[in-house]
Amino acid sequence: MDPSEVEFIAEKELVSIVPNFTNSEVHLISGDVGPFRAGLPVNVPIWMALNLRQRQKCRIIAPDWLDVEKLEALKEEEKSNRFFTKMPSEHYMVVAQLLLSAVDDDIPRVEEIRMAVKDLWDVRISKLRSSVDTFIKTGGSHARLDYLTTMEINSVRPLLPHALDFIDRLQKASEGASRRDMASQD
Amino acid sequence: MEDTFGEDDYFGEDEHIPAHEVLQTLEDAWLNEKFCPDLLPSQDSYVEAMMEQIQQMEDNLTKLKKTDFRVEVHHMELARIRYIITSYLRTRIEKIEQNTAFILEQETTRSPENPHLSEGELNYAREFLALQENHQKQLVLKHVPPPFQDFMSTQQSLVPNLRSHIFLRAKKDVNGVVIEGDRDTRDEEVDLEENSQHIMQYKPIANLIHDGSVQLI
Repeated sequence: MDPSEVEFIAEKELVSIVPNFTNSEVHLISGDVGPFRAGLPVNVPIWMALNLRQRQKCRIIAPDWLDVEKLEALKEEEKSNRFFTKMPSEHYMVVAQLLLSAVDDDIPRVEEIRMAVKDLWDVRISKLRSSVDTFIKTGGSHARLDYLTTMEINSVRPLLPHALDFIDRLQKASEGASRRDMASQD
Repeated sequence: MEDTFGEDDYFGEDEHIPAHEVLQTLEDAWLNEKFCPDLLPSQDSYVEAMMEQIQQMEDNLTKLKKTDFRVEVHHMELARIRYIITSYLRTRIEKIEQNTAFILEQETTRSPENPHLSEGELNYAREFLALQENHQKQLVLKHVPPPFQDFMSTQQSLVPNLRSHIFLRAKKDVNGVVIEGDRDTRDEEVDLEENSQHIMQYKPIANLIHDGSVQLI
């Protein structure tokens, strides 16, 4: 899947905004959003938040996990745990990227937050790479991948599934070959 | 003007499914289709229902003032939904073009009440196969000796690899999914807990997609 499609999916996540206008509910096909009251926070999908922000109709409130200390804590937990830990958002990387580039002046310490998200991502990706390595070496064909986010899964696609397909094909071929060997020995 | 959008959330005469659920079903179908090696049953009734909904929304939008902030938001949503639908249909067409003969053959083994292809897709597949056949005959087959002139459609069509590996998320608990072992390993049984994520071969979970127990990711 193209990363932009992962982004497309992530844009459905809700984010809190403070509108500077008042309006009744908007009945979207995907569900109702609002009502909007100037100055009062309301949850909207990210794609809508970004659009309203572009038109200077709102201020975006960063989710509470988008914070240097919280992200550092998540990173430490990720390092000390053998398995993947649960992320505050199914699309933390994309959400962070989208919001940080949009709200430059709404949030303080944007650069530091960006670094912290990247660090967290790096820790998780290197964990993912080493697990993929062990997984392939042990010759498994099933693995549990709890708490991996969509973008992370997408980062090992198509390489991992294709590698497994190929191993499977070689195994089947060698099964056939050894059966033929046995037959010719008889 | 009073806001009349989304008032008629319901489709058809006897099928009462709220619009947002139709959309969710289409989105799930889109991702499943994207990641599935095989062609899944067509969701054309949902596609049609959603196209109607889009049309209705567009009609409503013309009644709004251009300056209303909702106009742009609604247009954005419609564009997003259109993308999902076109990408879904295009993914299916790609599979049909790649595995034409195989898919047509499979379709004949299914009961008429349970087709995997929509009417349009079926026609497309037949025509595509006919074009291929004609093309090959013109280009090669009529120039080779008679014993080799047969167009063997099924032997030329690719067959999807049902053993290929996919990522999935379990939408509910499923116990005892059997993964076939090979020569050295025995069959393995896996329980899929609700919300757990896995990588495994497509074949053992193929029917779990049909009943909605798992979602490909």
